[in-house]
Parts: sequence; C-alpha cells; structure tokens
Amino acid sequence: MADPEFNEEEILALASQGDRDSFGQLYERYVERIFNYVYYRTGNLHDAEDLTARVFQRAMNHIQKYTDRGVPFSAWLYRIAHNLVANWHRDRSRKQEIPLDDLPILPTKGDHPEKNLVRSQEQEALLRMIRKLPSERQNLLILKFVENMSNAEIGAIMGRSEGAVKSLYHRTLLALRDQLEDQNLNLEGE
Amino acid sequence: MTKRKTTKTSTEELDVLEAHLAGTLQPVAPSKEIVQRLRVRIQMPNREEIVSRLGDWYRLFFVFGGVISGMMLLLTVARAFYYLTGRKG
Repeated sequence: MADPEFNEEEILALASQGDRDSFGQLYERYVERIFNYVYYRTGNLHDAEDLTARVFQRAMNHIQKYTDRGVPFSAWLYRIAHNLVANWHRDRSRKQEIPLDDLPILPTKGDHPEKNLVRSQEQEALLRMIRKLPSERQNLLILKFVENMSNAEIGAIMGRSEGAVKSLYHRTLLALRDQLEDQNLNLEGE
Repeated sequence: MTKRKTTKTSTEELDVLEAHLAGTLQPVAPSKEIVQRLRVRIQMPNREEIVSRLGDWYRLFFVFGGVISGMMLLLTVARAFYYLTGRKG
C-alpha cells in the first residue's frame, strides 16, 4: 500500500543525517514486515523480537552507508535481517527442527483471531518441511507468501535475477511435493 | 492429512501445494507491546554500538591525545605557578 504522504527518498536523506524522527518513520513502515520475516526464519517470538531490534539498530548505525543503487531500502533491511538470522543459526551451531510449541500462532492480518488459534495438521507438517529446506529457499517462500512480494522484488533482496527466482521457486515447489510424496502425504485441494 | 488416494497431474499438485503454502505462510501481526518495546530498544545505544565505538581507533587516538595534552598543560601551569611563587618567597 503506497502512502502518498510518505516520501521515502526525503525521509531516507534526513535519516542518514542522523534525524531520529525520520528513522522512526522508516521503523514504523517496516517493523512488521521485518518481524514477520525473522519470526518465520527463527520460529520463536523471543528471538524474533531480539533480532528485529538488532536489524533496526544496525540499520540506524549504518544508514549513512545506504545509497540507492537500484536496491530499495526495504531490500537493504531484508539483507541485514538475512545476515543476522544466518548468524543466529550459526551461533546455535546445530541444525534444529523448531518444535511446533515454539511457533506460537499470532493473529494473522485481516482474519478473525479465533480462526487462527488452530493451525491444521497439514499446515504444521508443511511448516516442518519448509524449515528443513535450505536457507535461501525458506527465504524465497517467506518473501513470496508472507511478504507477498513479486519475483523481481525477491530478486532485489536475494541478489538474483527475476528469472533465477522464478526457477528457484519452481524447484522449491517440486522439492516440497517430492517430500510430501516421500512421506506418503497428500494435501487436499482447498 | 490423508493418505494419497488420487493421481493428480503435476500442475494440479503444484497448484494445490501453492494454495496450502499461501494458507500456511500468513503474515503475522506482532503485538503493540512488542512494537513498543522494539521502539524503545532502538532509541538506546546497544552493546554493538558501544563495542564499535571502542574499536574506533581514530576517535580513541584523539581522545587519548586530548587527555595527555590537557594533563601537560596543567603540569606546565602548575610548574610556572610554583616557580613564580617560589621566586617571590
């Protein structure tokens, strides 16, 4: 949703001169999106909150280094988030499968909260499979479905062409389908 | 979740999978408390920033140089004062 009042270029210029109010506006605009991304990548609220704070702290400390070279500010933020999440996984130093208890259900946007209290078995199984995918495939699915981004936008964040993202997405779907078949599970059509 | 019963075409399977992904990977809304806590946190210098300041050798050099210069100046003034008052005595 484009906010006509929000002139990102101007706000970025002010923020890079150390104007905290301008940075605050950027924070308001992107905090939920970054939180969503980190939440799905880490699987727990506490770490999602901590890492989201660090993303914005790092962005604030280095905003002078951000220059618009065709990469939008949001892509820059996602890259910071991606790096911090990668470090977080490395620090944990073990490939983990997030227990489902650690993935609390938060209210999704636009739905009645009671609708979200129960995540179906199918969704739980699918989430488990997604978490076992390589990092960049997880990124792709989160950006596409949670953040509702186009392949071009995802490409800007991942440093890949639109075609490469499309191809990676197709391979990811095939891999997920194969995993479903391996487990002899069938997702019912909705 | 049911056992596989029917044979679907590859495209149909992928369409169904996409629909399920869209249903599973929904955007979540962090609580207002979380957003507020984060806002408070980013206003304060964090540990990383303090460490990075300590690692800023350029700034440290000037701070150290400033402190030493200040001390030398104080010492010189004190010595001058001592000799001046000593002569009078």
